[in-house]
Amino acid sequence: MHLTSAGRRRLGVAVGALAASALVLTGCSAAEPDGPEKITFSYLWGGAEADAIEAIIADFNASQDEVEVTGISSPDFQKQLTSLSASQGSFDISDHFGNAVGSWASKGIIAPLDDLLAANGVDPADFAPASIEQLSYDGKIYSLPIAVHTFQLLYNKTLLAEAGVEVPTTMDELADAIAALTKVEADGTITQLGLGDPSPSTTITTLGYAFGGDWDADGAPSPTNAANVEALQWYYDNVVAPVGSGKLAAFKSGVGEYMSPEDPFYTGKYAMVIDGEWRAVNIPNTAPDLDWGVTAIPAVSSALADSTQLTVSTLFIPSNSKHKEAAAKFLAYLVSDEGATAFSLALGNLPAKLSLVGSSAYDGIPQFSVWLDALASDNVHALSSAPYSAEYSTDLGLAFDEVLSGTSTPEAALQKVAGNSSNYATE
Amino acid sequence: MTVRRRQALAGLAFAAPFLIGFGIFIAYPVAASGFYSFTDFNLFQAPDFVGVDNYTRMAGDERFWIALTNTLLLTVTGVPLSIVIAMAGAHLLNLPVRGQPLFRALVYLPSIVPVVVGGYLWRWMLNTEYGFINHFLSLVGIDGPGWLVEPEWTKPAIVLMSLWTVGGTMIIYLAALKDVPRDLYEAAAIDGANWWTRFRHITWPTLSPVTLFQVIVNLIAYLQIFTQPYLLAQTRLNNVGAGPGQSMLTYAMYLFQNAFSFLKMGYASAMAWVLFLITLAITIVILVSSRRWVHDGSR
Repeated sequence: MHLTSAGRRRLGVAVGALAASALVLTGCSAAEPDGPEKITFSYLWGGAEADAIEAIIADFNASQDEVEVTGISSPDFQKQLTSLSASQGSFDISDHFGNAVGSWASKGIIAPLDDLLAANGVDPADFAPASIEQLSYDGKIYSLPIAVHTFQLLYNKTLLAEAGVEVPTTMDELADAIAALTKVEADGTITQLGLGDPSPSTTITTLGYAFGGDWDADGAPSPTNAANVEALQWYYDNVVAPVGSGKLAAFKSGVGEYMSPEDPFYTGKYAMVIDGEWRAVNIPNTAPDLDWGVTAIPAVSSALADSTQLTVSTLFIPSNSKHKEAAAKFLAYLVSDEGATAFSLALGNLPAKLSLVGSSAYDGIPQFSVWLDALASDNVHALSSAPYSAEYSTDLGLAFDEVLSGTSTPEAALQKVAGNSSNYATE
Repeated sequence: MTVRRRQALAGLAFAAPFLIGFGIFIAYPVAASGFYSFTDFNLFQAPDFVGVDNYTRMAGDERFWIALTNTLLLTVTGVPLSIVIAMAGAHLLNLPVRGQPLFRALVYLPSIVPVVVGGYLWRWMLNTEYGFINHFLSLVGIDGPGWLVEPEWTKPAIVLMSLWTVGGTMIIYLAALKDVPRDLYEAAAIDGANWWTRFRHITWPTLSPVTLFQVIVNLIAYLQIFTQPYLLAQTRLNNVGAGPGQSMLTYAMYLFQNAFSFLKMGYASAMAWVLFLITLAITIVILVSSRRWVHDGSR
């Protein structure tokens, strides 16, 4: 193709006009329009939970005219990471889990909140101490808990009554109950398990606390803590060994989907489980005929009574947000008594604020108080949130799997985790 | 400007869309991953140069070896099975029977089912108690295994799920079968050749270039296998599972976990380069060996 000089001039003018238009449009998009400051809240929830979030966003937008929030349901961790890695992200506030805070804070991708919270009258002392501890890094708070979760012992009243078993209050009673409630046929096939494990990692780490253990001592992984090893050994001796790891795996592979009508706790295949407060909302909807109860997890001593694990759903503001102050205003609304109550009720989660522990707002949820009251316990623990948390929890899960499958001893498996920890990410 | 120079510029201008796309989306990422493989890089902070540490650390990383072993086991079982089943299936689809087009469509159907949908479908199909597979096995008196809970049965489960989509390979073989000259079969029949002799001396040599292509394509697919084991081993959304005894942890899954769960981009990049070199080495061996078993009509 050969352009004449006139043609080249015309082409030059066209390119210049395009460039000028692009500059003008860029300028337009950067300018703040009149009216409320617009921010985006990208959340991991979907379905009915997303509907509840949208209702809370609508309430906030109607309550004031300074900030307008647009909610986006995006249940994809990788998309969240991609946005966090960009110079200009796609959202101004989002949610995640407490165990990621240390890793993200160390990389500078989430904003410290201390000044923003002070400016909006949010007092961190209002929240469960274990949750704030998990959400802090290097002396600063990087996320706020929007909801927390504790774990307690749920039991099927009908099955306990049939077996003549009282609700266990000590570890020995729990061991006896598991034995009495586990049913095995002559060929070794399990038909009912005394203690099921919706999440083996959560069950065993929680039992570790009930034995007086600690998974993170002095800011470093401490998998070989003697009480941790004892807890894992206890679980193996009382749940796995009596039925055999192979038979147990086969039994568990045939149980129904978690929290569905075929959930093994709802169908009577698991007589007891250690699980979180969301069950109190799920059971009336999914298994309304189930006669169930919930109690504190037994501990090895009275000093360790009411031991449980706390996990945290968090809200954070990314460092690349251009609207941090506006996002902080919305954050303050979400964690206010009104916002936190609406949020926790909608999702069936525990409120993170201690002031709501005795709230009558939760009276309608059956047996919710057993989980709620645990927030005030001195023996509530949270796994630390550090740059290495993802690797550590993966390694712990693999170690538990080795022990439960009978291919390793608790001591050897947890020793291996300790050995791996030297290669963990440090920032 | 000379005509030659103008022509060269015009040629470059026409090639520019590809060259720019190749540079931005392929050449630069490949070069960047090579650089990052010698660094400690977490995606968000400037990479620190660590020399060959990422490569030497693999030698002592137990999970690296588990993932590599699992992947190689899947490859050496999955690739031959894919070839054999596809070739046998193509022969069956080539039989002049009533409803032949329908059968061809049916075997290809799984290939157009989204792999995630297929993955969740197979999780239920392979369920020890409620799954169809064990149900059908029980009809013939076989006590089905715990496909997804017994370490020794997870790899057969992954291969089984992968073979479900073998229809694509089968269709290519079917097209190749159509190209086998009929007169060769007629001549062989006149000479009294039986079906095995005809397959060995006519069909197999004629299909061998297609087989070489299929072996290499399937080999690369199995060495990179991710979606099927990821879905079968998944215990929680967004998390990488590994299956019982880490028996479903493949190389690509462990690479993904290092990159996007542990944010160890440097180590993941080094793993990617090692996988590339392994793939290249095996492909070269197959290509060299193909001189012995691939029939090239032009030679």
